[in-house]
Order: sequence, then C-alpha cells, then structure tokens
Amino acid sequence: MSKALIFRGRQDGWSVRVHPQLMAVCLGLLLLLCLSVLTSLSLGSHPTRLPDVVRVLLGADSLEGIRLILLEIRLPRVLVAVLAGGALGVAGLILQGLVRNPLASPDVIGITSGASTAAVFTLWLTGSAGTTSLLVPAAIAGAFGVTVLLVALTWKGGVSPTRLVLIGIGLAAGLSAITTLLLVISPDATAMTAYIWLTGSLYASRWGDVIGLAPIFITGLFLACAVARHLDLQALGDDLALAAGSNLNANRLVQLLLAVLLAGSAVAYTGALSFIGLLAPHMARRLVRTGHTGLTLMSALLGGLILVWADLAGRFLFMPRDLPAGLFVAGVGAPFFVFLLYRLRRQG
Amino acid sequence: MLNPFAFLSGKRLALPVFLLILVGAVSASEAPENTVTVKHALGKARISASPTRVVSLYQGATDTAVALGIEPVGAVESWTEKPFYRYIRPALTDVRVLGLETQPDLESIAWLDPDLIVAARNRHQAIYPLLRQIAPTVVIDDVYDFKTLLTLMAKATGKEQVGQCLLRHWQARTRDFRSRIQRKLGDAWPQEVAILSFRADHARIYYGGFARTVLDELGFSAPSAHRKDDWGIKLTSQESIPAMDAEAIFLFMQEDPAVKRTFREWTDHPLWQNLEAVGAGEVYPVNPVLWNMGAGILAANLMLDEVYQHYGLANTLPTADLAC
Amino acid sequence: MLNPRTTKALCLLLSLGLVGTTLVASLILGQIPVSFHDLYASLFAYSPGDLRHLVIWSERVPRTLIALVVGAGLAVSGVLMQSLTRNPLASPGILGINAGALFFVVVGASLFSLTAPSQLIWLAFIGAGVAASLVYFLGHEPGRGISPVRIVLAGVALTAMFVSFAQGLLILNQERFESLLFWIAGSVSGRSLDAVSPLLPVIGVGLFLSLLLSRQLNLLGLDDELTQGLGMNVGQIRLLTGLLVILLAGTSVAIAGLIGFVGLIVPHIARGVVGPDHRWLVPASALIGGALLMGSDTLARLLIPPREVPIGVVTALMGTPLFLHLARRSGSRL
Repeated sequence: MSKALIFRGRQDGWSVRVHPQLMAVCLGLLLLLCLSVLTSLSLGSHPTRLPDVVRVLLGADSLEGIRLILLEIRLPRVLVAVLAGGALGVAGLILQGLVRNPLASPDVIGITSGASTAAVFTLWLTGSAGTTSLLVPAAIAGAFGVTVLLVALTWKGGVSPTRLVLIGIGLAAGLSAITTLLLVISPDATAMTAYIWLTGSLYASRWGDVIGLAPIFITGLFLACAVARHLDLQALGDDLALAAGSNLNANRLVQLLLAVLLAGSAVAYTGALSFIGLLAPHMARRLVRTGHTGLTLMSALLGGLILVWADLAGRFLFMPRDLPAGLFVAGVGAPFFVFLLYRLRRQG
Repeated sequence: MLNPFAFLSGKRLALPVFLLILVGAVSASEAPENTVTVKHALGKARISASPTRVVSLYQGATDTAVALGIEPVGAVESWTEKPFYRYIRPALTDVRVLGLETQPDLESIAWLDPDLIVAARNRHQAIYPLLRQIAPTVVIDDVYDFKTLLTLMAKATGKEQVGQCLLRHWQARTRDFRSRIQRKLGDAWPQEVAILSFRADHARIYYGGFARTVLDELGFSAPSAHRKDDWGIKLTSQESIPAMDAEAIFLFMQEDPAVKRTFREWTDHPLWQNLEAVGAGEVYPVNPVLWNMGAGILAANLMLDEVYQHYGLANTLPTADLAC
Repeated sequence: MLNPRTTKALCLLLSLGLVGTTLVASLILGQIPVSFHDLYASLFAYSPGDLRHLVIWSERVPRTLIALVVGAGLAVSGVLMQSLTRNPLASPGILGINAGALFFVVVGASLFSLTAPSQLIWLAFIGAGVAASLVYFLGHEPGRGISPVRIVLAGVALTAMFVSFAQGLLILNQERFESLLFWIAGSVSGRSLDAVSPLLPVIGVGLFLSLLLSRQLNLLGLDDELTQGLGMNVGQIRLLTGLLVILLAGTSVAIAGLIGFVGLIVPHIARGVVGPDHRWLVPASALIGGALLMGSDTLARLLIPPREVPIGVVTALMGTPLFLHLARRSGSRL
C-alpha cells in the first residue's frame, strides 16, 4: 500500500490526497509527451535536427528556412494534437463514469455524429471543398444540439445510463443516414473533403485553432478535476451515491455538458476523431489504480500522446501524401474496442 | 563664377522639383520597386517582377504555367495519369510533386522557397494564410474559368505579352470554328449538346464546368433542362436516361472495367437507343483529361482539336506554341 | 366479437393487400408516367416498341421484385435476431452485419480490384457471415446465453471497427471511394436481374425455412432450463436460427447494399398487429417488410427527380423516430 501525502486546508475546509505513484506516472507521461512533441517537430518531409528545433523554439533569428516550417506548420499542428487528444481523453473518461460502462465514448453516444452532420451540412451548403470559418462553430453547435436532443429523449424523471447509450446509438444511426445523403448529393471535391473530415485530420492546423482550443481545454480540464469526486461516488452505484448526498441528476447533467464541451470543441477543430475517448481512459486505468482526479490528468496526457503519434504517423509514413490521423487512431482503437468486449465477456 | 544658388532659383527649380515629387509619389505607392500587385479572389498579392520559382496547387495552374513557358518548381499531382497528365508531362521534367490537390504538402512548398504560389479558392481557402506567409499567393475563384486564370497568371509572372497572344490565338480559333461549323451544319446550327460522364456505378450530366464553358463559347447550346446553376447531377437509375437527351452527346469516362461495364449496361438499354443523339449517330467519346481535368488553356486548345475532329472540320490555324 | 385467430388472419390478408398496392404503385410511379392501362398491356400484350412497356420491364419490375424480396428478407432476419438475442433493438444494422459486409466489399474492391457486381455480392455475403459470428461470440455470456445489452454494444464495437477500416481503405484509394458511395448508401435499382437472380431464391428458401421453424422460435424467449425441460434442444434451435439470420441478412445486404432499420421497425409493427406468436409473426413481417421497402423505393424515386434519394436514407429517416421511441420505452427494462 503506497503511502499517500495528504494536504489539508485550514480547519479542514478542503483536503487533497496525492499518491506518489500517481505523481511519478504523471510526471513520466508529461516528460514522454514533451519528447514526443519534440520528435514530431523534427520529423516531416524535411527532417530537422533536434538542436535546430530547440534553437528555433527558443527564439533564434537564424535558420529562416526551417523557421517558417517549424513555427507556422508543424508547431500549431502538434499543439492542436496535444490539446484535442487531451480533450477527447478527458471527455471519454467522464462519459464512461457517467454511463458506468467502460465502452462509452463521445462517438458511441452520438456527440461526434452530431458534430459530423453539422459539419458536412455546412460543407455542402457553402459548396466549397476547402473549409470555411463556419465549420468550427457549426460542429460545436451540432454536438450541443445532439446532446440537448439526447437529454430530452432520455429524460424520464432522470437520466438512466443504459437508456442514454441506446438513444445515443439511435441518434447516431439517424444522423449517419443524413450525412450519407449529403455525401451522395455533393460534388466530388466536397464529398472527399467531408470524408476526410469524418475520419479526423490535423492537416493545416493553424495558430488560430490553438488559440481557440487552448482555453476550452484548460477550463474543461480544471472543471473535470472538480467533478471527478462525483464520478468516484457514482461508480459505487446510484443508491450509495444518493446516500452520500450526491445530487445525481444535476451531477449527471453537468458531467454530460462538460464532456460535450470538451469533445465537441476537439472534434470541431480536428474532424470526427473516434476512439481516443475510449483508449485513453482505459490505458490510464491500467497504469495506476486511482480515483477519477488522477485518471483525468492521465487521460489528458495519454490522449495527447496518442494523437501526437497518430498525426506523426499520418504525415510521415506515406509521404508525400498526408493521411488523416484518425485512420491510425482507429486502426489501433477499433480492434482494442472489440478486444475489450471480449475481455468483458469472460468476466461475465 | 556663377552663383549656383542663383542658378537654381525660381522657375528653373520648379520643373526638377516637380519631377522629383512625382517620382517620389509614384515610387512611394509602388514601393518596393520591381513588384507587381495582383488582385485576386482573396485579396492582393505583391509579387516581385518576373518570378522564376512558381508553385502550382491545382491542375489548371500547372497547365497555364506551361503555356506561359514556365516550368513550375512544384506542382500537385494529377487525378489520373499520375504524376502529371500525359499532355503536359514532357514540359514537367524537373518538378517536385506536392501530393494531392486537396492536401498539398505544406512543408515541401515552404522548402522550395517559391516566388509565387497559385491556388484555387474552393480547395485552398483554409490554407491561404499559411501560403501567404511562404510566398505571394494568387488565388483563383472559379477553377473552370481558364481565361481569367491565364490573364491573372500572365500578369503575376510578368508574361503579359505571351498571355495576350494566347488569348488572341484562342479567340481566332473560336471564330474560325464558328464559321466552319456554321457552313457545315447550316440551319442545324447552333446544335444542342449534352455532356455526360460514366462512373463505376452511376452516370453524370454536367450542367456547368470546363467543357460546358468552352462549348458555350464555341456557340453550342444546351438542352433547357441542363441550364441550371449546379455543377451537374449523378444519375443512378436508367429510367433517367431521357434526361440526357440532346441533338448531340459528348461523353467521357475512365479506363476502368467497372466503368466500362456501367457504360455498356446504360448504352444497351432501350431508352438509350431512343435518344435523339443516338438515333442521329451524334455520340462522341472524348478524352476526360482534356475535357474535364486539365482546366487550362492548353487543355482547351486540345479539346477544341477534338471537336474539330468529330465534326470533320479542317483545322488549319497554327498551334498555340507555334503562334506565341 | 371476432375470435383472435380470425383477427390475425384478417390482418395477414390486409398485409397481403398492402403488398399488392405498393407493388402496383412501384410499377406505375416514377419519372416516366405509366398508367394502369399501360401496365395491363405490358403484362398481357407486350409490345417491345412501346417505351412505357420497356420502362416497366427493364426498370420497374426488377427493382420492385428486389425491393419485395429484400424487404421480406430483412424483416424476417430482424424477427429472428430479436428473438434470438431477446433484444427488441436488434437488427442487421445495429448488430454490425451491415458493417461487416461493407468492410469485405471495400477490401475486395480496393485491394483486389474485385468490382463486378457478382463478386461484390459474394464479398458482402462473406462479410455478413463473419460479422454475425463475431457479434454472436462477443455478445454471448458463457452459461447465461446472450445478454441483450452486451450484444448491442458488441454490434456497435464491430460496426466501429469495420467502418473505420473501410474508411481507411477508401481514403487511401480515393478513386474507389466515389464508385462505392452508392452501394454504401443502399439501392435496389441498377442491379441487373442476371446478377441477382441466383440470390433471390436463396432468400425465398430462407423465408420458407423460417416459417417451418416458427413454432420452435416461440420457445427461444423462454429460459434455457424451461426449454430443456420441454425436451427441446436449445442449442440446435439457436444454431439454426443463427444460420438463417446470416442467410437472410447476408443475402439481402449483398443484393441491395446497406439498408438499415427495416429489420428493426417491421418486426415491431408486425408484433403490434398480429402478436408475438412466430407462426403469424414471420409471415406478417415478410409481407409488411416487402411492402415497406417497395414503398420506400417509390418514395426515393419521387422526391428529387431526376435524382434518387438512396433508399437506405429513406428507411433511416422513417426508422429513427421509431427506434428512439422504442429505446425510450425499453431502455429501462434492459
């Protein structure tokens, strides 16, 4: 039993328990993330030496050629990967705690589908094969819209987790039909762009994306740590949670909204990435057995790691083609999803 | 000894000073020197005179660059006949391939250190801010308007004379075609034509696009059902075959067994046999690269060659590269 | 007061009437107007020169026939799936069978360039079989039979896996993408009768076998111990039902692409009309399913001429509200 460090506020107003093991793992993950970022910055169709990368990052004025590539092309892209991956990881964790089912994630529940349909609709309306400035707000609106519908349909005196999942699946299927219709009637170029968006890609990420995503991620992460305690309680079952004084319905709504905020904004900037919200929390759980606060931090770090590496694989392995990161995440995530089911089956 | 100050007084000073101010004003509004300001779909680009390193981010721009006598340092790959369409491949010997038109490799573009980038609004609007930081970028609004593209690129690359010559040559050719076809078809002119394409599991009618624009300019008309704002439609049911009807049909397709199969199924259908164009024997298969994908002045000229050929008209004017 | 048996028989007759009506509607309605007289003439006084007769025989009859048979096949496979898994939300789309077919078709088309319709059909069939076996295996709790919630989640997991792999292949092969888009969206037109005529009787056989099995199907809803006590071999019945599901769903997907919700909605409608007894339920579902798909196909043709809405979209738009209603009601019971 590892020893925990406990910090208490004055008059026991608040207390925080910190496990050294958790801290070590988090620091290790953070270090790994930084190294991955640096690796990703050095690789590309024109590999850059690591010392040069560091020099440019630290503000050297020389090396004009790589400066542009590093600071305007690679760096925003890698940062978006860290932020979006982290947001999706945390969103997945919250949803899994909310639904009390380890198979929940933003894609299963229909949040991603809502954003997708709104985005493809916008692409079809604006008729342009390139993205427009409307795409991000449309996707976020879609994600929230679906969630409102989801809650409205699930609400029967309360939010039952099983019903939430089933209705989410139904909504996702219906929305997918609308998306297919839009793809069929769009011109080729729009359809292909939409399809790549539906897979999830970080191509052409800009500083504007980083600036848009960063505040949402940071706020979301902070709030997620705050609601983590409630997730711990809910994991014990409805009766115990209620007995411990938890306001179940209110908490569930807040958690759902938080998950939608994080997942919706991540998806709005990167396209419909799936499976990160599933993979990251599970990997976090395998690393350290701890409460949801620690799990939140680890999910964020792991989500960022997954996406940074998936993006790197996409742009480096098939040059000069730039494959969507979503492909690589799915390539690993989807079989993992199936494997999870298999393991759950044996547990009975 | 003349007093210099006395020499430079009054009226004698007026003209030089005026000229100085004029020159100063002009150069101030055009600073730095030797640049061209080009207005395009997404703003203005300030390009140094006679840029040599040109990057093309869509097919029409590659075509036009070659027509203007410039070999791009980088170009996106073609959709078929990769990496570049056969009709311009000879001119593109030392060109770096930049990946797909929809997702060009930004790092490679930056590394090439170009003087000018030519892009299309409907594909590259999202990356325009990035492109602008790499090099002056000119963005085309309508990818099928090859003449505006020619004018724009000619101005941007300082080859206005060549551009104007190409345009005059094109106009001469269209005039020649019109008079010949008028003589040949007489009262049957203008002829109503439909533009069709067959894919692996559906067929298409084009209401707009490159081929339609060129044919309209040549004087062909279109069935009233085809005069719509859309690019065209995809048809999955052979019952819609009558919608394709016109006095003559130009159709194109890829060399693919699935496409060929679909083509056979549709053309074996009795409804197809009933079409006016089929009955009159006026169905012409044409080259999809020239009619739909090249989208530049060279492709337009080669497409016109095919039209001359199908109507059996004498094609006597010199080719573009000889004329300009 | 009519006795229940008579009511059910009447309902069955009504369904038959519905099939007849939608059949005629499907043959008559469309871009090229055809009248009753034309229809009659084309059947009994066929003249090859008449455009309308041509349209009826070359276009309308194949797609009506395919819609009828595929609709019946999908509906009955839905009934079987719902009884087998004891989950009112089971259907080929939800349980990943469609996705498995999609994946195998995409693999065949992009990696092996198998694009002939007859090849695609076999690929879809194999894919459906693989997916059905996997979902059964994953949803099956050892010792306790199939868990309703687990099998739906297994279906979602498999769908996610197959769809993402298929998407990956389609992106790597952009030329293939647009040629498969219509198949993915589901369609009963554009399929020549030559390619599908060997498969239509297969569905017919499957329907017939399902009818024969209906009495045993009634027992699937009971607990295992009870059924064994009655002397029935539960395992055998389950296996047969599973094979029939693969046969019906797989062949339907192979012929018409991804059409969802028919296997979901129709059993519920039929159950509402004739009750849960499979001896009435199976024929009623087959009839209503056929009528529904023929009606959807007609609607798909009439909405945005000369284009057609993919039939899978029409059925999805009709089926989603119903599915949501069902999920709302039954979610608490699962």
